[in-house]
Order: sequence, then structure tokens, then C-alpha cells
Amino acid sequence: MNERQENATARTTLPLRIRERARTSPSTVAMREKNLGIWDQITWEDYWEQATLVGHGLLSLGVEPGDRVGVHSENRCEWLFSDIGITAVRAVTVGLYPTNPAAEVLHVLRDSGTSVLIAEDQEQLDKALEIIDELPELRHLVYIEPRGIAGRYTDPRLLSWTELLERGAEHRDAHPGAVDARAEQAQDDDIATLVYTSGTTGPPKGAMLTIANIEFVIETLAQHGAFVDPPANDKDLIVSYLPLCHVAERVFTTWFNAAVGTQVNFAESIETVQVALREVQPTIVFGVPRIWEKIAAGVHIRMSGASRLKKLNFGLWMKVSQWIGRRLVENDGNHTLATRLAYAAGWVFLYRPLRERLGLGKARYAASGAAPIAPEVLEFFMGIGVPMHEVYGMTENSAIATANRAGRIKVGTVGEPQESAEVRLDPETGEILTRHAGTFAGYWNNPEATARTITEDGWLRTGDVGEWVDGTHLKITDRIKDIIITAGGKNISPSEIENSLKSSPYIKEAIVIGDRRKYLTALIGIELDTVGDWAQRRKLAFTTYRDLSQKPEVIELVQEVVEATNTKFASVETIKRFRLMPKELDHEQGELTATQKIKRPAITRQFAEEIADMYDEEVRA
Amino acid sequence: MTATVTSPRRTPRPPRGRPRLRTAYRQDMALINTPAKRRSTVLLVLAAFGVPFFFTDDLLLVFTLGLIASVGAIGLNLVTGYAGQVSLGHAFFLGLGAYTAAVLGGDPEGRLIGYGMPMWVWLPAAGIVAAIAGLIVGPIAVRLRGLYLAIVTLGLVFLGEHVFREARTLTGGPGVGRRGPDLELFGIRFSEGGSLFGLGLSRDQQQFFLALVFLIVFAILGRNIARSGVGRAFSAVRDRDVAAAVIGINLTVYKVMAFAMSSFFAGVAGAMYYAVVGVFEPAAFGLLLSIQYLAMVLIGGVATISGSIMGAMFITALPRIAQEIAHLFPVISTSTVGGGIINVFQFEAILYGLLIIGFLIFEPRGLYGIWMRIRNYWKGWPFSY
Repeated sequence: MNERQENATARTTLPLRIRERARTSPSTVAMREKNLGIWDQITWEDYWEQATLVGHGLLSLGVEPGDRVGVHSENRCEWLFSDIGITAVRAVTVGLYPTNPAAEVLHVLRDSGTSVLIAEDQEQLDKALEIIDELPELRHLVYIEPRGIAGRYTDPRLLSWTELLERGAEHRDAHPGAVDARAEQAQDDDIATLVYTSGTTGPPKGAMLTIANIEFVIETLAQHGAFVDPPANDKDLIVSYLPLCHVAERVFTTWFNAAVGTQVNFAESIETVQVALREVQPTIVFGVPRIWEKIAAGVHIRMSGASRLKKLNFGLWMKVSQWIGRRLVENDGNHTLATRLAYAAGWVFLYRPLRERLGLGKARYAASGAAPIAPEVLEFFMGIGVPMHEVYGMTENSAIATANRAGRIKVGTVGEPQESAEVRLDPETGEILTRHAGTFAGYWNNPEATARTITEDGWLRTGDVGEWVDGTHLKITDRIKDIIITAGGKNISPSEIENSLKSSPYIKEAIVIGDRRKYLTALIGIELDTVGDWAQRRKLAFTTYRDLSQKPEVIELVQEVVEATNTKFASVETIKRFRLMPKELDHEQGELTATQKIKRPAITRQFAEEIADMYDEEVRA
Repeated sequence: MTATVTSPRRTPRPPRGRPRLRTAYRQDMALINTPAKRRSTVLLVLAAFGVPFFFTDDLLLVFTLGLIASVGAIGLNLVTGYAGQVSLGHAFFLGLGAYTAAVLGGDPEGRLIGYGMPMWVWLPAAGIVAAIAGLIVGPIAVRLRGLYLAIVTLGLVFLGEHVFREARTLTGGPGVGRRGPDLELFGIRFSEGGSLFGLGLSRDQQQFFLALVFLIVFAILGRNIARSGVGRAFSAVRDRDVAAAVIGINLTVYKVMAFAMSSFFAGVAGAMYYAVVGVFEPAAFGLLLSIQYLAMVLIGGVATISGSIMGAMFITALPRIAQEIAHLFPVISTSTVGGGIINVFQFEAILYGLLIIGFLIFEPRGLYGIWMRIRNYWKGWPFSY
């Protein structure tokens, strides 16, 4: 990234891009937010106005360049107003996951030294207030929703969103142009945001992304059309629903929006995302595997309750779609005449209405990333005509590494390196290394971890092991830490087996165990919705998750899935035994990260008994 | 939501091709709020205008009367379906409209009182006179509810029947009756065959078109009442009048309004109906007529405009249907004298009873409910829910 810093003056930043849009197309829609059943439209002019007011408000609170400002909220337009306002005054945005428990909020706020926190509502504010005595640097707390707070909380550090904007307006009257002046002084190596990694092994680390990093991402993705063809533009619609503190959603929501003017839509709440998708019919959809798995499983559950004719129709056209999906997979995602004809027929009977119901009717680009996904799920979506692509990237390289391109898709791989990115494999360990201008500036306050992650010649250690497929496409084997070496000395990638298990609609979580053991075992968590539905249709009474997962019929059901998976793998890679986890894994209890990734050490500790049981029996026998 | 922007100025247009994305409540309550409805409405209206060219004149007369009765049924649905005020007095308002029209539009040189006024006078006048009667009756509904209101409105029918029978100079009296007014508008005489827009049309074809336009106008009017604030207030009164009062709905005003509007619809429908029928006598406006209209509402679908139309078409066609069935079964005699176990009129009455009982038990939402089920089956495609 050093070679890019020389032309610093020619660069633009997110706030300046938005200011430019507010000038050239003031009354075009920048974003929509659904309130009380109506999509309120926010124009570029409104966007810049609000962001400037936030900026002035922060200036009036004494925020200096480089200060950290936290945002702890679900996705909503105020998130973007805050983010841009913060960046405009050259402060650093620190996003917090709405699901973060107080302990993690404490860690992030203390580690980053946040001085102003913008919290969404009473729930988030309470988390911060609970631990505020340990945060001497936290000077001001702004809350967006006054319900339950106004008139009841008396802490002098509190400030409502409206008050912040009023202060901003006053400050603007007193110092007109102060925010613009500050924004124009921005340097390429200003830290724009701290993105806290989910931390599957240790406490979350704050990755510093600079203005240059963001501009690199925008150039690569939005302007060169590396993701979408034709490139994303202001006719494209996006529904923003994944946490905005994660780099992937920030790319798709804030950065795409600022760069090319895609219209961002915010649902009323996380529960109504499905409805919002259906109403908005976005053209660009990004999801994590869990979302895609859930959508696919949802289709199957709803179908199982459908009338006979509809079931028949679904069964027939799903068979056709599987065939289309397979042909597409064989053909790098290109249609042949035969698949086109089959698709046209199925479009009338199933694919069009199904896609419309799922909110994918107008999707011209769908992507899955942030975690590995089972090929079966990708095939399902490709089969019903959703142009689905698996992409790869991580916080530390600003989400830029590889992507499957339209027409050159290889399912099971994460695609080809992005145009402006260098990707290579460590010859010894097989670790994937990337190098480009998007490589992050390091971990906040953690030079050792930074040194471990970035090599001296600028290569980023991703921590993932991969291999090349046909010399062009990258296939991720697993996280380097997760590779299982069995007692027999065989290297096994658990995630492949886990994903294959998870592609069954009945299985939500699967953790394969077997490091330095004789054979593989698995801890499996059932999907309450689908298995519950399945049990109900079999007139199987159950009370709780725990009760359901202990039913012999359910164990049998999972046994079938495990056996089906076992046939796909070599015999050393088969699951010999499994146990069902008696509870749903949870972020709050430290079993999952904020991004729903499994914290293996915590799991193996928590279920030590079950694991021992799976191996002990063998010893006794 | 707190302070989200949106200063009062030009709102940008919502994106194309996304009918579910509503950026204003106005779109939500639009008359036709989905593209599918727009397409099917256009098709349906076109098909309706094609009907006269595919059916014989005697069937057309049945359809014409059905279309006009639909307006009356919409009226009853406003007061009974939407506002929840059971009214058995609909026949009275229909009669009032019919006689107002007959008197105002009747032959001035005839045996009975008539003023020979044109249609554009007698048609609105029929509605207004009935509406005034509704205004007078309305306040009773403020004091009474449910069964009691039904009994009081029932009384209205008997009062009306008596007055109609005795006012011989106006109505012709029982057994004699009088002619309805002439259907003549914009110089077109609908009660005679002739050419219209260069097409040679029979009397029944012309009357069908007139009735169709009449229905379209009043159906849109009814729908607009139902989807506006007034309609929502009606529904609130129906669902719980105490709760409605608490949220600020003036019960007196809205109950009276419901009766007045309903009576207006009944008045114009009565005027048109008997203008097409020709000669009619006071006995027509008895309890049976009220029950027929209630049956239209129940069988068609309570609190729906399209249901009212379906119900009215079906009930008006019922005598014809009964006749067709009678032809198939020799046990049903087609004349009132001798032969068979029951005659066709008894059979028709039985059919009424069975239909009302059947619908109340098996399809409380009426024909409209059946349509909803069919529609939802396809709307849910490829899912069932």
C-alpha cells in the first residue's frame, strides 16, 4: 500500500463522495427505511445534511481527528449518518454488534478507547452504562431511540440523537464549513474504521482500515465491476440486514452506496427482513451461508405443508432445477440451450413465483461469503435461477481476495483472485497469502498480532489453508487452526464434512472432532424449526429443544443424515459416532461469535463429557 | 423513529416493478393496489361489455336486473356488512326509490300522478328521498343494537307496505300497480331497441349496457366509501361500538351516515330496477324482498363490494336456475296447478333456505370467501402458506 500513498491528494473519501452526490443529484434516493409500514425515502441531500449535522455535533463534543466513536445499533439510516459524520471529522468509526453482551462491549470500548458512543436504544445503552465505570475515556453517550430513556436516565453524559443534531446545527451556525474543512484535510492513511474481528479463539482484535483501504475496495469492486457485470449502479437495490460492523456488510451497504449510488433499504427490524426482501426485491444480495441455508431449509419446510398438487409441482421442477444446477456447475455457471429451455419451462411453474416469494425475483447478483458454504446450497439457488457466487475475503484484507465471476463459476471454490489482488499459497503450510492496497494497517494497539499477520514484504497471512483448482480457482480447505490430524497421521478438513452435514435442513450446527484421535466424531445441533415441524407431522410430542434432541426418532433422523454424508467421504473421513447437543449454541454464553461462528475451544470444554463418552465407549469395547 | 428528515417537498418516485414497496399510505389503500388487480379489472370490465353479444335477450334481462340489484346489495352491505347494523328494512327504501322515480318520471297525462320529468332528475331524486328516510330512521340505530334493531327495521317494512298499498293515487294500489318511469338519457331511449354508436342493438342489450355503467359507477362509489376514513369508521363501529367511541368515532354521526348512504343506494337501485321491470305493485316491497337482499349479502360475502355483486347476480338468477333444475327433475312441477310433489316456486323458496343455511354453516364469508380461497391458492404458489 505504500506505493499508493504518493498520489494522496487526488484521492477522495466516503464523505466527499456523498457530498458530491448531494450536489449533483440532491433529490435522488440514497436509502429507504421502513417505518410504520411505509418506506421512507432519504435523498442524497438529506443524507449529507444529516451526516454533516452529526459531524458538527461531534465537533461540538470536542471530537478530534483520530478519536474513536462507537456505533452500537442495528442497521438503520442513523448508522450511515453516524458513520459518514464520524469519518467526515476524521474520527474513527468503531462498530459494535447489536448482539454483543456487556462483557464484549466492555472489551471493545476499552480496547479502542472510544470517547463517544452512539447507542441505538435502551437495550444497547444499558450495556454501556453497566460497565461505564471501567471506561474513563467514554465521555458522551448518544441514544437514537428515546423510548424508556428520556426523562428516566439522568446521567449527565447522555445526549439524545435530536440533541446531537441540534448541537450540530448550532455549531454549524457558529462555525459554518467546519465539517467540510475537516473532511477535506483527510489523509490516505487516516484510520477510517476499526473493525473488530469476531475472535473465534481469543478476544476480538480491532483491525484498522484506512481511507486508502476503502478507496481501494471501491475501485476494485464497484468501479471495475469485479463483483457484478454490468457494474453496480444507482438502479441497483440492496437490503441491508447483516451487522454493519462486519466488513462485508459495510462494503455492500455503505461503500457501494457511496461509490456508485446503489439504493440501500433498511427493514423495520431484523425479524422483518424476509418481508422487506419480498417488498424491495433487491438486485444485489449478499448473505452469509447461514442465511442461505436457512432460506433453502425454509422453502423445504413450507413445501412439506403444501397441498398435494403444489408438492408435485415443486418436486418435479426441483428435480429439473437440480439437473440445471448440476449442468451449470459443470459448465462454470454458463447456460446451455437445453438448460435454458428447461429453465424457461420451470420459470412459469415454479422458479419465478418461488424467487419472487423469497425476494430474489430481481436478483442479478447473489453472493455468499464470510464462511464456507455447502455446494448443495449453492446448487439449489443456481438451479432456481439465482446467479449465486461464492466469494472470499476477510476483514484484514478489506474483504478483497477472490471471487467467482459470472460465467466462470466453480462450485466448491471461492473463485479467482480479484484483478488488483495478489494471492499465493505458502509453499510449506499451504496457507493463503494476499497482498494489495487493501491490506489493513494493523491491529489496534496490538503490534505483536500485527507482526504475526503481515509479513515483512506486505503479504497478509489469512490463516486459511487452500489449494488451487485447475490453476485458476482457489479452494479453501479450512482454517489452519482447525485442520484435524488424526492419530493415524491423516490431515482432515473438518469444515468440509461439517458443511455437508449442515446442508441437511435438519442440522443447524455440526462440529467434527478427531484431532489426535483414532476416528472422527461429531457434535450435532438440530435446527429447531425444521425438526420441530418434522416431529409435529409425525405426531411426536416434545416440549423443549433439549427434549426434542433426545428423542430416539430424532437421533435416528440425524443418523440417516450422517450416514448419507459418510458415503461422500473416504473411510478415514467418516463420522463414526455423534451426539446431539442438548442446547442451542448462543453468542451470549460465549459459544458463538457475534457472526455466529463456532468458538471451538469453548465448545470442546463445554461438551467434554459428551466427547469423552464418544471415545470412551470404544476404549471399553 | 426519531428525527428522520423528510422536509416537506417533492418526494422521489418509488422504484419501478416493485408493487409491494409502498412509499406512502395512499398506495396501500389505493382503489387498485396491485398490478394483478389492475389487469384483471380491465379484463373483467371488457368481458362484461362483451356479454350482450353472446347471450339471448331473455338471459340478458336476468343479468340486467342482477346488475341493478347489485347496487341495492352494495347499499345493504354498507349498513349491515361494513357498519354492522342489521337492517331488515331495505325493501322499504327500495320501494321509496321506485315510487319516487315512478311519480317524478311518470306519464303526466296518465291515470295516476306523474310529472314526466327526465331520468337525470328522477334517478338522483329517488336516491335522495330514500336517503332522507334513512336519515330519519338512522337515529333509532343509535339507541338499538342487534336483534332489537332488526325488529324495528322489520316494522318499517310493514309500515311501508301499508302506505304503498293505501296511497293509490301514487302507487296504483294492490293488484293494479303502475308503470315505472321511462329509461331515457341523453336522447337514447333504452326501453326500445335501436341503434347505439352505430350498432343495431335490441332493447335488452341497451338496458344491459345502461345497467352495467350504472353498477360500475355505484360500485366504485361504494368501494371508495369502504376504503376511506368513513369506511374504516364503519368497520370500527361494527367490530366494537364502545371501542370505536373511545377512539373518537362519533357513533351517532356514523350510524346515521351508514343508514343514509345505504338508503341512497337502495333508492337509486329501486328506481332503476322497476324502470326495467315495467309494471310493479306494492306487494313487491314486502319482507321477502328484504330477505332476498340479506341473502345477497350473506351469500355474496359480508363487507365486500365484489361479494355483493356476486350475491346479487346469483340471487336474481335463482328463479331461472330453479326453473332449469325443475326441467331436469319431473317431480318438480313447472306450474302452480297439479302434477309433481312440489311446484317450481316452492322449490325456489326451499332453495333460498338451503342456500342461506348452507352458506352460513359452510362458507360464512360467502361467494367472496370461495373466491378468496381460490385466489389465495394461486397467490401462495408455489407454497400453501
